Amino acid sequence: MTAIEVRAPAAPLAMPPAWTPRAPSLLQAGAIAAALLAIAPLVAVVVLALRPAEATISAGLLARYAADTAALAAAVGVGSAALGAGAAWLVVMHRFPGRSVFEWALALPLAAPAYALAYAYADLFDVAGPIQTALRGAGLDASFLQVRSLPGAALILTTALYPYVYLTARAAFLNQSVCALEAARTLGCTAGEAFRRVALPLARPAIAAGAALAVMETLADYGAVAHLGVGTLTTGVVRAFASYGSVEAAARLSLALLGAAALLLWVERLGRAGEVYATSSARWRALARVPLSRPAGWAATAFCAGLLVAALLLPAAWLAYKALSASPDLPRLVRAAAASLGLAGAACVITTALALVIAFGSRARLGGWALPARLASLGYAAPGVVIAVGLLGPATLIWRAEGALGGAPALGVVVALGLLLYAYTARLTAAALEPLDAGLARVTPSMERAARMLGESEAGTLRRIHAPLARGALWTAALLVFVDVLKELPATLILRPFDFDTLAILAANYAADERLGQAAWPALMLVALAIGPMVVLSRRIGRSRPGAP
Amino acid sequence: MPAVRLRPILMAVLGVVLGAVLGALVACDRNAPSSGDEASRPPPGEAGVLNLYTARHYDADRALYDGFQRATGVRVRTLDGAPDLLIERMKAEGAQSPADVVLMADAGALWRAQQADLLQPVRSAVLDRRIPATLRDPEGRWFGFARRARVLVYDRASAPAPDADADAAAYADLADPRYRGQVCVRSSDNIYNLSTLAALIERWGPERAERWARGVVVNMARPPQGGDLDQIKAVAAGACKVALVNSYYWIRLARSAEAADRAAAARTVMVFPEQAQGAPGTLVNISGGGVARHAPNRANAVAFLEYLASDAAQAILAEANNEFPAAEGANAPEALRGYADFRADPLPVAVYGRRQAEAQAMFDRAGWR
Repeated sequence: MTAIEVRAPAAPLAMPPAWTPRAPSLLQAGAIAAALLAIAPLVAVVVLALRPAEATISAGLLARYAADTAALAAAVGVGSAALGAGAAWLVVMHRFPGRSVFEWALALPLAAPAYALAYAYADLFDVAGPIQTALRGAGLDASFLQVRSLPGAALILTTALYPYVYLTARAAFLNQSVCALEAARTLGCTAGEAFRRVALPLARPAIAAGAALAVMETLADYGAVAHLGVGTLTTGVVRAFASYGSVEAAARLSLALLGAAALLLWVERLGRAGEVYATSSARWRALARVPLSRPAGWAATAFCAGLLVAALLLPAAWLAYKALSASPDLPRLVRAAAASLGLAGAACVITTALALVIAFGSRARLGGWALPARLASLGYAAPGVVIAVGLLGPATLIWRAEGALGGAPALGVVVALGLLLYAYTARLTAAALEPLDAGLARVTPSMERAARMLGESEAGTLRRIHAPLARGALWTAALLVFVDVLKELPATLILRPFDFDTLAILAANYAADERLGQAAWPALMLVALAIGPMVVLSRRIGRSRPGAP
Repeated sequence: MPAVRLRPILMAVLGVVLGAVLGALVACDRNAPSSGDEASRPPPGEAGVLNLYTARHYDADRALYDGFQRATGVRVRTLDGAPDLLIERMKAEGAQSPADVVLMADAGALWRAQQADLLQPVRSAVLDRRIPATLRDPEGRWFGFARRARVLVYDRASAPAPDADADAAAYADLADPRYRGQVCVRSSDNIYNLSTLAALIERWGPERAERWARGVVVNMARPPQGGDLDQIKAVAAGACKVALVNSYYWIRLARSAEAADRAAAARTVMVFPEQAQGAPGTLVNISGGGVARHAPNRANAVAFLEYLASDAAQAILAEANNEFPAAEGANAPEALRGYADFRADPLPVAVYGRRQAEAQAMFDRAGWR
């Protein structure tokens, strides 16, 4: 037997340094660059806010705007989370009449912009509208039905924005491990308790991400909230801009909005900090759906159908009814539709790619790196008007450079379209990022470390481990950006080239002229165009569970 | 069945489609001047186009542009948007701005453009002759081409008798205690209300104007919501007795193809205030425009403005939105002649813009949301 010699080490063992500084990889550098690109307009806003302004909004008014905005945001956040998560749970885990249709149909209300819902409901419930007139005819006092109020706006925005939570919650529930649920059942939980104590906390990052998205949309919304007469920080921004003619005052108010968004993001991350949602199981079994008893099943159907009617079918039907009495300018509508589709497609590809770079770059460092994602997410809460105004800075440089080059008209169109795409990207990188982040959270640290240990590089890990597992999230991100750009308004209004309209612009212009019948045509065309991609991608996510047939 | 990798294929297809669409958008750019398209080559320096930044987006305005093109051969390219967005864009574009003519639907907006140094003075005998002095800038930076009146709409029972002088309608009525809880108005951040208060500040002085604004807030039947049409419909539905609106909205309802609209107009009465003896006359505002400061096609721009003052264009402009023509001697379109017979306040519309920030601050202090 060979003797094993143990000798004292020649020199004391040196401990390795606790942390070795490494040069940032290309991916990480790309992530920071993408994030900076996304917030460049915000930097412009900050610069604007620091310039002196002659007229400002009174402190009392500011306090009222802030309070109303906070109330609206809280109501929409809670409401959309409850509706979206509840609907997602029902649809993923149970069987009831119509479930297979509702699974993809419940996401469709995203195709209708919030301002279209506001126009339809304000008209429906108006003092001179059909509902109040009918109630008055029946002798009832209908004046309590004030849609043009803070509660009304909260209801309408919740109805319009619950699909954000529905999509992310559904992706989370679809991808959950059956084993954790079964373990809960064997430990004595009923189905409801298993949902409350196991499935819900596991899906919480996704639900929080969806709710954060909904609230940021609420903070940034102008069209719906202004139409309903609710004074929020956003309407205050536009008021300062429009009435006082003071971009500086508008920029200062937007800083308040940005502060609120940053707080929101911080709270959301705080809720997730220190928790590990990794499940140990790597095996995927088909989700067993629980069939609901007759009355419960029909109740579930009624709930889902009610959501769909309130968020899409009723407003669309009313707008269609109004459209019948107006004669549309068809060639103009078709041109606008082509413009909308082209812009949306291009923005979708660019923004998703950028968000991927940020998401991957954030994960490329072991342990995660939150800075690029947080930076990019700030852009989402600023009102579109403010982003567009902030973009006028870089736009100015580009326009003047183009003029100096003796701009040919075709070049002018390309430049303006490029600026528009930049505006969309700056605003919507966050929208693409939230679902991507929540989806990538499924990849456990042990998977990453195993891959690295087996010799795979950073990029290779991302390509072979993260990407396939996050495919559903990727489609969600692309879908959200495509539809959001179709509906986008303020940046398009400011930066577009000559003779260039999108459907959103036509709808807003007609509605501003109080021609609801004329506005209904482009609004309905918008919904029709957005519904196709929504159906395709919504069904695609439903099949994204690994091992699914 | 082996899983087909859909994603790369779908992304590739999407990329090709996008490339095609964007390429089509650029290549088929209608704005690119096509050689040999027009019979005569335009003179050097004038490209035969007119770049129009307009805050009016009525479909019928297309008839105006077509008319101008037929008369002069100049092609009109348009960019429409809200007044402030147009102003911000022109400020950002600076000296490279391609805008030739700026059209806006309120004197206050035109004043803002003038303050931002975005308009240049125009000396035109035609315009000076056709457009009254109260409806244009004294320095010739902008001209009004259509007028709208700020009127009161009552329900039939409450309307003052048309010939009664002592009881004649006046803007002060809106703050009168007899209309407590009966007044419908829209939000104070709308430019029509801002211009109205600006004019009243000029007429009455700040103290009386602020008392008026506070009085109106006390009289409101409901918090300000909706647009002018919503106020008229609220009066028709009985939610309030009097509303402050622009004349063309009521006329639009009265002439509408929809029976419900005509019924609403039939249940209400449009009254031009301040028509009594000794009263100054109803406040009017303008749709108008001017030549942009750095206009690349200045001659075309002036020609376009002169065309807007012509009888034919005045008829189209007025008909498009039920407004009254601004040019001297131009007759209102047939359907509007019944309403055009009112005395207008001779206050120069340039005042509306000067006092606008003051008006907004006053609204905020009075609590008029």
